[in-house]
Amino acid sequence: MSHEKQLETEDRPCTLRAPPLERREQFVNDAGNVVERLYGPAGLEADDFEYASHLGNPGEFPYTRGIDASMYRRELPIVSAYAGFGTPEHSNRRYRELIALGVQSLSVALDLPTQLGFDPDDVMAAGEVGRMGVSISTLRDLEILFEGIPLDTLNAAGSTANAIGPIVLAMFVALGEKQGLDRTRYTVALQNDVLKEYVARGTQIFPAEPAMRFAVDALEWCVEHAAHWIPITVCSNHIDVAGAGSTAATAFTLANAKCYIDEALRRGLTVDDVAPLMRLFLNEREDFFLAVANYRVTRRIWAHVMRDHYGARDPRSHAIRIMGYAHGPRETAQEPLNNIVRITMGALTCFLGGLQDMRCASYDEAMNLPSDEAVKVAIRTQQIIAHEFGITSTVDPLGGAYYLEALCNGMEHDIASIMQRVDDMGGALGAVEHRYIQRTISEGASRRQRAYERKERVSVGMNIFPSEGDARPQTFRTDPGIERQQIGRVQQLRRERDGARVRETISAVRACARAGRNVMPALIEAVKAYATVGELCAVLREIYGEYEPDVSF
Amino acid sequence: MASTSRTFRSDAIAQPERRGRVLIAKVGLDGHDVGARLVARALLDAGMEVIYTGLRRTPEQIVRAAIEEDVDVIGVSILSGSHLAHLSKVRRLLEEQGASDIRLIAGGVIPQEDIPALRELGVSRVFVAGTPLSEIAEYVAGIVRAPAPTQPG
Repeated sequence: MSHEKQLETEDRPCTLRAPPLERREQFVNDAGNVVERLYGPAGLEADDFEYASHLGNPGEFPYTRGIDASMYRRELPIVSAYAGFGTPEHSNRRYRELIALGVQSLSVALDLPTQLGFDPDDVMAAGEVGRMGVSISTLRDLEILFEGIPLDTLNAAGSTANAIGPIVLAMFVALGEKQGLDRTRYTVALQNDVLKEYVARGTQIFPAEPAMRFAVDALEWCVEHAAHWIPITVCSNHIDVAGAGSTAATAFTLANAKCYIDEALRRGLTVDDVAPLMRLFLNEREDFFLAVANYRVTRRIWAHVMRDHYGARDPRSHAIRIMGYAHGPRETAQEPLNNIVRITMGALTCFLGGLQDMRCASYDEAMNLPSDEAVKVAIRTQQIIAHEFGITSTVDPLGGAYYLEALCNGMEHDIASIMQRVDDMGGALGAVEHRYIQRTISEGASRRQRAYERKERVSVGMNIFPSEGDARPQTFRTDPGIERQQIGRVQQLRRERDGARVRETISAVRACARAGRNVMPALIEAVKAYATVGELCAVLREIYGEYEPDVSF
Repeated sequence: MASTSRTFRSDAIAQPERRGRVLIAKVGLDGHDVGARLVARALLDAGMEVIYTGLRRTPEQIVRAAIEEDVDVIGVSILSGSHLAHLSKVRRLLEEQGASDIRLIAGGVIPQEDIPALRELGVSRVFVAGTPLSEIAEYVAGIVRAPAPTQPG
């Protein structure tokens, strides 16, 4: 690892002589690399560091310093929110409040039954309706959710839907039509990154390969019909947090992105058709400087993979947009207000890393769905950093810092070698099959837990300076009436809709899926006929099969 | 269920005393199993026989697996907030099927204020986030060493 190179003589001037005793024998970051006492020019020279090839100016290849020449002098990071709970009416009220506070982009948090393709009256949904997100089983629910919120008043609207990504995309297409909007006037941004569900997060429905092809149906459809939308946001966030660490997680994320692109190429699309529609969701919560380095160097790696591996020519293919979710180090349920500090530092990494779109976590998220106050503080955190402290006045203010660039160079090397291993296993699907990604995650999770128990990984108020007494944050309880209401609504809708049209459109979905054709057009017709998420997933389960739980650990 | 679950045996040298069998279970729809897997590994490392159910099991499936696998302890991990509903169902099914000697423990995101209610319905112990793995392993080992509780009435 290049940044581990000792900078013995040149970089240790006599004025900075090491103190006789340091607090630790060795400082190690979450990526497992030793952090040196001091970084200086010798380390960068050892990496053959060159401004033009390693950094380039902002807005120029390889985009290390940012995808735009003016960055935040032109446009600040979009204030987005991930929100939703209970019924569509509840969430609609929350959305209006969020918009009033300055939120520009909404990502619908779906409850688990919706994410897993179960209607509210399915036995599997019992107890979970409206709990972790809002219950959206039909287009009717989405219409209510965005009542009085025209999609073109938002920077983007979308959802973290993954296994059901294309169904939710179809719903947003239909909602746009209902709102009388031309598709060019609004933007839908989806997560729809199903591959990472098999190794982290866990809302997969189908086996991985057909699920991946289903996700690419959304990408392919957007290329032709809505090329300014974001049909796939490839995520390192969940893989990192599950235990992989951000370096390995980024490598797996790029491997997943390649898997989607390769599928698109097999369908006759070009890399310049699809790459500009993609976005990354990156994450590093354990180490401030690793986070900034990760965002910057991932842009460089992406640019090279697109240009050198795929032969992309369009600069929009080379310059990847990145979103982030500021958490900071482990939020704790004890002394929850401390989390505001953690989240603020996390948010700062997003700004210093040059992200396009971000949101801040709420300080009580470790315990439950966020309270109104916590949500407001989260939005204000981003706004304060954006407007109050001079942080956004210049582009890539940390660019060229010895430590940061050394981290970037080391990380680039490490990410490339993990990506190579994944390639050797046949790409992302092969690496899941070989359990390489799962093993990396579970070993990392054990390593983090050990480090925590040895107090090498520290949480103030928890494993050091433990909290006196047990501060209890507010808890959010879901009203059981929500489940009854959503069950009543979907059952009434099934009685009132045009049953023949529903059957016909669902049959068309089945036929498309069976024939291996893109199911998006058929899905759009089916959701317009008010077919439910549960009905559509039942049909797709017939064709694609069902995911078998992994019982190893 | 039995066909989809595998028992992982520790490589530790076989000991004359009973090592204890534990079922680590994910109930309901929540897909976060980092903690469940960590606990499973820690118990395995502590010399126990451990079975993991995988994601998204029903209380019925969990109780069936626990009985078929003849476990001493079921450890249920839950992060979605549905702990009261799911754990009371697991407890009730264990009783109905004459397996109330199987001890039930729980972990995950569980508010302090719900712990008394969980204890009330027969959950022996609730481990909230941040508990050292060694503490969980010691507790489970203690349960296994202790003679099975005699059934009242």
